[in-house]
Amino acid sequence: MKFSSLILLASAFMLLSFAACAPAHRTRVILIPDPDGKVGEITVQNKGGAQIMTQAGQMAEVHDDATAPVSPASVMDDKEIHRIFGDVLAALPEKPLTFILYFKTNSFELNIPSLKVLNSAHEAISSRQSEDISVIGHTDRVGTDEKNYILSRKRALSVKKYLVVKGVHPDAIELDYHGEANPLVKTAEGVAEPRNRRVEVIVR
Amino acid sequence: MRYFVCVFCLILLLSTPAMAVAEGEAARVKTFKGTAFIVRQQQAIQVKQHDRIYPGDLLRTGPDGTMGVIFRDNTTLSLGPRSEIAVDEFLFAPSQGKLSIVTRMFRGTAAYLSGVIAKLSPASVRFETPAATIGIRGTHFLVQVEGADKK
Repeated sequence: MKFSSLILLASAFMLLSFAACAPAHRTRVILIPDPDGKVGEITVQNKGGAQIMTQAGQMAEVHDDATAPVSPASVMDDKEIHRIFGDVLAALPEKPLTFILYFKTNSFELNIPSLKVLNSAHEAISSRQSEDISVIGHTDRVGTDEKNYILSRKRALSVKKYLVVKGVHPDAIELDYHGEANPLVKTAEGVAEPRNRRVEVIVR
Repeated sequence: MRYFVCVFCLILLLSTPAMAVAEGEAARVKTFKGTAFIVRQQQAIQVKQHDRIYPGDLLRTGPDGTMGVIFRDNTTLSLGPRSEIAVDEFLFAPSQGKLSIVTRMFRGTAAYLSGVIAKLSPASVRFETPAATIGIRGTHFLVQVEGADKK
Protein backbone atom coordinates (compact mmCIF):
# COMPACT_ATOMS: atom_id res chain seq x y z
CA MET A 1 0.00 0.00 0.00
CA LYS A 2 2.73 2.40 1.04
CA PHE A 3 4.86 1.31 -1.89
CA SER A 4 2.17 2.05 -4.47
CA SER A 5 1.50 5.51 -3.10
CA LEU A 6 5.22 6.17 -3.33
CA ILE A 7 5.17 5.23 -7.02
CA LEU A 8 2.22 7.54 -7.56
CA LEU A 9 4.04 10.38 -5.89
CA ALA A 10 7.19 9.69 -7.91
CA SER A 11 5.32 9.66 -11.21
CA ALA A 12 3.48 12.84 -10.28
CA PHE A 13 6.84 14.44 -9.63
CA MET A 14 8.23 13.20 -12.94
CA LEU A 15 5.20 14.59 -14.75
CA LEU A 16 5.69 17.92 -13.05
CA SER A 17 9.36 18.11 -13.89
CA PHE A 18 8.59 17.02 -17.44
CA ALA A 19 6.07 19.87 -17.72
CA ALA A 20 8.67 22.29 -16.41
CA CYS A 21 11.17 21.19 -19.09
CA ALA A 22 8.63 20.97 -21.92
CA PRO A 23 9.22 23.35 -24.83
CA ALA A 24 7.58 26.73 -24.55
CA HIS A 25 4.08 27.08 -25.94
CA ARG A 26 3.67 30.61 -27.13
CA THR A 27 0.24 31.69 -26.00
CA ARG A 28 -1.89 34.59 -27.16
CA VAL A 29 -5.00 35.80 -25.37
CA ILE A 30 -7.35 38.33 -26.98
CA LEU A 31 -10.19 40.11 -25.22
CA ILE A 32 -13.28 40.56 -27.42
CA PRO A 33 -16.71 42.11 -26.72
CA ASP A 34 -19.56 40.02 -25.26
CA PRO A 35 -22.45 39.34 -27.66
CA ASP A 36 -24.30 42.29 -26.07
CA GLY A 37 -21.36 44.61 -26.85
CA LYS A 38 -19.93 44.95 -23.34
CA VAL A 39 -16.21 44.41 -22.81
CA GLY A 40 -15.19 42.71 -19.57
CA GLU A 41 -11.87 42.29 -17.85
CA ILE A 42 -9.36 39.44 -17.77
CA THR A 43 -5.99 38.97 -16.13
CA VAL A 44 -3.23 36.94 -17.77
CA GLN A 45 -0.76 35.86 -15.13
CA ASN A 46 2.26 33.63 -14.57
CA LYS A 47 5.39 33.48 -12.42
CA GLY A 48 6.89 36.39 -14.40
CA GLY A 49 4.05 38.85 -13.86
CA ALA A 50 0.52 39.82 -14.87
CA GLN A 51 -1.25 41.71 -17.61
CA ILE A 52 -4.73 43.14 -16.99
CA MET A 53 -6.83 43.58 -20.14
CA THR A 54 -9.90 45.80 -20.43
CA GLN A 55 -9.99 46.89 -24.09
CA ALA A 56 -11.67 45.12 -27.02
CA GLY A 57 -9.07 43.53 -29.32
CA GLN A 58 -6.32 43.91 -26.71
CA MET A 59 -3.89 41.00 -26.77
CA ALA A 60 -1.50 39.44 -24.28
CA GLU A 61 1.41 37.39 -25.57
CA VAL A 62 3.22 34.90 -23.35
CA HIS A 63 6.37 33.07 -24.39
CA ASP A 64 6.78 30.74 -21.41
CA ASP A 65 5.56 30.40 -17.87
CA ALA A 66 8.49 32.33 -16.37
CA THR A 67 8.37 35.38 -18.66
CA ALA A 68 5.80 38.06 -17.94
CA PRO A 69 2.94 38.41 -20.46
CA VAL A 70 3.33 41.42 -22.75
CA SER A 71 0.59 43.41 -24.41
CA PRO A 72 1.45 45.03 -27.77
CA ALA A 73 0.29 48.64 -28.08
CA SER A 74 -1.87 47.93 -31.12
CA VAL A 75 -5.07 45.88 -30.85
CA MET A 76 -5.66 42.89 -33.13
CA ASP A 77 -7.92 43.89 -36.03
CA ASP A 78 -11.06 41.96 -37.00
CA LYS A 79 -9.45 40.53 -40.12
CA GLU A 80 -6.60 38.96 -38.18
CA ILE A 81 -8.98 37.72 -35.48
CA HIS A 82 -11.06 36.11 -38.20
CA ARG A 83 -8.03 34.50 -39.85
CA ILE A 84 -6.83 32.81 -36.67
CA PHE A 85 -10.10 32.31 -34.81
CA GLY A 86 -12.75 32.06 -37.58
CA ASP A 87 -13.28 28.31 -37.04
CA VAL A 88 -13.45 28.54 -33.29
CA LEU A 89 -15.86 31.50 -33.33
CA ALA A 90 -18.12 29.66 -35.79
CA ALA A 91 -18.21 26.70 -33.37
CA LEU A 92 -19.22 28.84 -30.37
CA PRO A 93 -22.76 27.75 -29.38
CA GLU A 94 -25.57 30.28 -29.28
CA LYS A 95 -25.79 31.96 -25.90
CA PRO A 96 -28.35 30.34 -23.54
CA LEU A 97 -31.64 32.24 -23.28
CA THR A 98 -33.22 33.01 -19.90
CA PHE A 99 -36.94 33.66 -19.46
CA ILE A 100 -38.30 34.90 -16.12
CA LEU A 101 -41.90 34.17 -15.15
CA TYR A 102 -43.58 35.88 -12.18
CA PHE A 103 -46.19 34.55 -9.77
CA LYS A 104 -48.99 35.84 -7.57
CA THR A 105 -48.17 35.99 -3.86
CA ASN A 106 -48.14 32.65 -2.00
CA SER A 107 -49.35 30.93 -5.14
CA PHE A 108 -48.08 28.83 -8.00
CA GLU A 109 -50.35 30.60 -10.45
CA LEU A 110 -48.54 32.66 -13.09
CA ASN A 111 -49.42 36.31 -13.45
CA ILE A 112 -51.07 37.09 -16.78
CA PRO A 113 -48.17 38.89 -18.59
CA SER A 114 -45.87 35.97 -17.77
CA LEU A 115 -48.00 33.60 -19.84
CA LYS A 116 -46.70 35.42 -22.92
CA VAL A 117 -43.11 34.98 -21.70
CA LEU A 118 -43.75 31.29 -21.14
CA ASN A 119 -44.91 30.98 -24.74
CA SER A 120 -41.74 32.74 -25.93
CA ALA A 121 -39.72 30.22 -23.90
CA HIS A 122 -41.57 27.41 -25.62
CA GLU A 123 -40.90 28.96 -29.04
CA ALA A 124 -37.18 29.20 -28.22
CA ILE A 125 -37.13 25.53 -27.17
CA SER A 126 -38.74 24.54 -30.47
CA SER A 127 -36.58 26.70 -32.71
CA ARG A 128 -33.34 25.57 -31.03
CA GLN A 129 -34.62 21.99 -30.78
CA SER A 130 -33.23 22.18 -27.26
CA GLU A 131 -33.00 19.08 -25.09
CA ASP A 132 -31.28 21.04 -22.36
CA ILE A 133 -33.69 23.19 -20.37
CA SER A 134 -33.53 24.24 -16.73
CA VAL A 135 -36.65 25.26 -14.81
CA ILE A 136 -35.74 26.84 -11.47
CA GLY A 137 -38.29 27.94 -8.87
CA HIS A 138 -37.85 30.80 -6.37
CA THR A 139 -39.89 32.71 -3.76
CA ASP A 140 -39.67 35.98 -1.87
CA ARG A 141 -39.03 36.05 1.90
CA VAL A 142 -42.61 36.07 3.19
CA GLY A 143 -43.18 32.89 5.22
CA THR A 144 -40.83 30.23 6.58
CA ASP A 145 -37.85 28.77 4.70
CA GLU A 146 -39.52 25.34 4.56
CA LYS A 147 -42.80 26.67 3.20
CA ASN A 148 -40.95 28.68 0.58
CA TYR A 149 -38.85 25.71 -0.45
CA ILE A 150 -42.03 23.72 -1.09
CA LEU A 151 -43.67 26.68 -2.86
CA SER A 152 -40.66 27.17 -5.15
CA ARG A 153 -40.87 23.49 -6.11
CA LYS A 154 -44.60 23.82 -6.87
CA ARG A 155 -43.90 26.85 -9.05
CA ALA A 156 -41.17 25.06 -10.98
CA LEU A 157 -43.36 21.97 -11.37
CA SER A 158 -46.30 23.98 -12.74
CA VAL A 159 -44.03 25.52 -15.40
CA LYS A 160 -42.55 22.13 -16.29
CA LYS A 161 -46.06 20.65 -16.61
CA TYR A 162 -47.10 23.46 -18.93
CA LEU A 163 -44.08 22.91 -21.20
CA VAL A 164 -44.64 19.14 -21.24
CA VAL A 165 -48.30 19.64 -22.20
CA LYS A 166 -47.01 21.84 -25.05
CA GLY A 167 -44.95 18.87 -26.27
CA VAL A 168 -41.52 19.30 -24.67
CA HIS A 169 -40.04 15.95 -23.62
CA PRO A 170 -40.00 15.68 -19.79
CA ASP A 171 -36.41 14.32 -19.83
CA ALA A 172 -35.23 17.49 -21.55
CA ILE A 173 -36.22 19.56 -18.50
CA GLU A 174 -34.07 19.70 -15.39
CA LEU A 175 -36.13 20.82 -12.39
CA ASP A 176 -34.56 22.81 -9.57
CA TYR A 177 -35.85 25.01 -6.73
CA HIS A 178 -34.06 27.29 -4.34
CA GLY A 179 -36.85 28.52 -2.04
CA GLU A 180 -36.00 32.04 -0.84
CA ALA A 181 -32.19 31.41 -0.90
CA ASN A 182 -31.44 32.79 -4.38
CA PRO A 183 -33.27 36.11 -4.75
CA LEU A 184 -33.05 38.36 -7.80
CA VAL A 185 -33.36 41.35 -5.44
CA LYS A 186 -31.96 41.04 -1.91
CA THR A 187 -34.47 41.91 0.83
CA ALA A 188 -34.91 41.54 4.59
CA GLU A 189 -36.82 38.55 6.00
CA GLY A 190 -40.60 38.91 5.68
CA VAL A 191 -40.54 41.41 2.79
CA ALA A 192 -42.91 40.79 -0.12
CA GLU A 193 -40.94 41.27 -3.34
CA PRO A 194 -42.77 40.41 -6.56
CA ARG A 195 -39.50 40.23 -8.55
CA ASN A 196 -38.33 37.32 -6.40
CA ARG A 197 -41.55 35.27 -6.82
CA ARG A 198 -40.38 33.72 -10.01
CA VAL A 199 -39.42 30.75 -12.12
CA GLU A 200 -36.44 30.97 -14.46
CA VAL A 201 -36.50 28.98 -17.67
CA ILE A 202 -33.05 28.58 -19.23
CA VAL A 203 -32.91 27.25 -22.80
CA ARG A 204 -29.49 25.99 -23.89
CA MET B 1 -16.08 -7.31 13.64
CA ARG B 2 -19.69 -6.22 13.33
CA TYR B 3 -18.64 -2.87 14.71
CA PHE B 4 -16.09 -2.45 11.91
CA VAL B 5 -18.66 -3.36 9.28
CA CYS B 6 -21.00 -0.72 10.71
CA VAL B 7 -18.28 1.92 10.70
CA PHE B 8 -17.36 0.97 7.15
CA CYS B 9 -20.98 1.30 6.00
CA LEU B 10 -21.26 4.64 7.74
CA ILE B 11 -18.15 5.92 5.97
CA LEU B 12 -19.53 4.71 2.65
CA LEU B 13 -22.84 6.42 3.34
CA LEU B 14 -21.21 9.68 4.39
CA SER B 15 -18.91 9.75 1.40
CA THR B 16 -21.69 9.31 -1.18
CA PRO B 17 -22.89 12.95 -1.34
CA ALA B 18 -19.35 14.19 -1.95
CA MET B 19 -18.94 11.69 -4.78
CA ALA B 20 -22.28 12.74 -6.27
CA VAL B 21 -21.03 16.31 -6.48
CA ALA B 22 -17.73 15.31 -8.08
CA GLU B 23 -19.57 13.22 -10.66
CA GLY B 24 -22.04 15.97 -11.57
CA GLU B 25 -22.52 16.90 -15.18
CA ALA B 26 -20.39 19.89 -16.17
CA ALA B 27 -21.46 20.71 -19.73
CA ARG B 28 -23.10 19.46 -22.91
CA VAL B 29 -21.96 19.33 -26.51
CA LYS B 30 -23.88 21.85 -28.61
CA THR B 31 -21.93 22.05 -31.86
CA PHE B 32 -19.31 19.87 -33.53
CA LYS B 33 -17.71 19.30 -36.92
CA GLY B 34 -15.31 16.63 -38.18
CA THR B 35 -13.17 14.75 -35.70
CA ALA B 36 -14.04 15.79 -32.16
CA PHE B 37 -13.57 13.58 -29.12
CA ILE B 38 -14.30 13.38 -25.43
CA VAL B 39 -11.41 11.49 -23.80
CA ARG B 40 -12.61 9.75 -20.64
CA GLN B 41 -10.51 7.21 -18.74
CA GLN B 42 -8.07 7.06 -21.66
CA GLN B 43 -10.82 6.27 -24.16
CA ALA B 44 -11.59 8.70 -26.95
CA ILE B 45 -15.26 8.83 -27.91
CA GLN B 46 -16.40 10.71 -31.04
CA VAL B 47 -18.86 13.34 -29.80
CA LYS B 48 -22.54 13.50 -30.71
CA GLN B 49 -25.03 16.33 -30.25
CA HIS B 50 -26.18 16.65 -26.57
CA ASP B 51 -23.32 14.48 -25.20
CA ARG B 52 -22.65 15.15 -21.52
CA ILE B 53 -19.26 16.26 -20.26
CA TYR B 54 -18.04 15.55 -16.72
CA PRO B 55 -15.18 16.92 -14.61
CA GLY B 56 -12.03 15.01 -15.56
CA ASP B 57 -12.95 14.79 -19.26
CA LEU B 58 -10.58 15.99 -21.96
CA LEU B 59 -11.98 17.61 -25.12
CA ARG B 60 -9.92 17.03 -28.26
CA THR B 61 -10.35 18.00 -31.91
CA GLY B 62 -8.58 16.70 -35.01
CA PRO B 63 -7.22 18.74 -37.95
CA ASP B 64 -10.75 18.98 -39.43
CA GLY B 65 -12.60 19.25 -36.12
CA THR B 66 -14.33 21.89 -33.99
CA MET B 67 -16.57 21.58 -30.95
CA GLY B 68 -18.72 23.91 -28.84
CA VAL B 69 -20.11 23.22 -25.37
CA ILE B 70 -22.27 25.00 -22.78
CA PHE B 71 -21.62 24.46 -19.08
CA ARG B 72 -24.42 24.22 -16.48
CA ASP B 73 -23.69 27.81 -15.38
CA ASN B 74 -24.02 29.03 -19.03
CA THR B 75 -20.27 29.38 -19.61
CA THR B 76 -19.80 28.82 -23.34
CA LEU B 77 -16.60 27.33 -24.75
CA SER B 78 -15.48 26.31 -28.24
CA LEU B 79 -12.40 24.59 -29.63
CA GLY B 80 -10.87 25.14 -33.05
CA PRO B 81 -9.06 22.42 -35.01
CA ARG B 82 -6.13 20.53 -33.37
CA SER B 83 -7.08 21.68 -29.90
CA GLU B 84 -7.14 20.13 -26.45
CA ILE B 85 -8.84 21.36 -23.29
CA ALA B 86 -9.34 19.49 -20.01
CA VAL B 87 -12.29 20.17 -17.69
CA ASP B 88 -10.47 19.93 -14.37
CA GLU B 89 -13.15 21.14 -11.97
CA PHE B 90 -16.78 22.09 -12.14
CA LEU B 91 -19.08 22.82 -9.21
CA PHE B 92 -22.28 24.83 -9.56
CA ALA B 93 -24.49 24.90 -6.46
CA PRO B 94 -25.15 28.58 -5.67
CA SER B 95 -27.51 27.86 -2.75
CA GLN B 96 -24.69 25.89 -1.03
CA GLY B 97 -22.00 28.39 -2.03
CA LYS B 98 -20.17 25.71 -4.08
CA LEU B 99 -18.80 27.31 -7.21
CA SER B 100 -15.81 26.36 -9.31
CA ILE B 101 -14.90 26.16 -12.98
CA VAL B 102 -11.33 25.27 -13.92
CA THR B 103 -10.38 24.45 -17.52
CA ARG B 104 -6.88 23.72 -18.80
CA MET B 105 -5.84 24.21 -22.41
CA PHE B 106 -2.90 22.30 -23.89
CA ARG B 107 -2.89 23.52 -27.48
CA GLY B 108 -4.92 24.94 -30.34
CA THR B 109 -7.49 27.73 -30.35
CA ALA B 110 -10.43 28.42 -28.07
CA ALA B 111 -13.19 30.96 -27.48
CA TYR B 112 -14.59 31.40 -23.96
CA LEU B 113 -17.65 33.34 -22.83
CA SER B 114 -17.99 33.30 -19.07
CA GLY B 115 -21.22 32.43 -17.27
CA VAL B 116 -22.93 32.74 -13.89
CA ILE B 117 -19.97 31.53 -11.78
CA ALA B 118 -17.82 34.43 -13.06
CA LYS B 119 -20.60 36.83 -12.01
CA LEU B 120 -21.14 35.32 -8.54
CA SER B 121 -17.52 34.53 -7.69
CA PRO B 122 -14.79 35.62 -10.19
CA ALA B 123 -12.09 34.03 -8.00
CA SER B 124 -13.67 30.60 -8.65
CA VAL B 125 -13.01 30.81 -12.41
CA ARG B 126 -9.67 29.81 -13.92
CA PHE B 127 -8.54 29.10 -17.47
CA GLU B 128 -5.06 27.61 -17.49
CA THR B 129 -2.59 27.44 -20.38
CA PRO B 130 0.96 26.03 -20.36
CA ALA B 131 2.44 29.53 -20.14
CA ALA B 132 -0.08 31.49 -18.05
CA THR B 133 -3.34 31.42 -16.11
CA ILE B 134 -6.26 33.58 -17.18
CA GLY B 135 -8.49 35.09 -14.50
CA ILE B 136 -11.94 36.15 -15.65
CA ARG B 137 -14.35 38.88 -14.61
CA GLY B 138 -17.34 38.15 -16.79
CA THR B 139 -16.22 38.40 -20.37
CA HIS B 140 -15.44 36.98 -23.77
CA PHE B 141 -11.94 36.07 -24.95
CA LEU B 142 -9.93 34.03 -27.45
CA VAL B 143 -6.82 31.95 -26.80
CA GLN B 144 -4.20 30.44 -29.06
CA VAL B 145 -1.62 28.00 -27.70
CA GLU B 146 1.06 27.03 -30.18
CA GLY B 147 2.73 23.62 -29.92
CA ALA B 148 3.82 20.57 -31.88
CA ASP B 149 1.01 18.43 -33.31
CA LYS B 150 0.48 15.07 -31.73
CA LYS B 151 1.00 12.17 -34.08
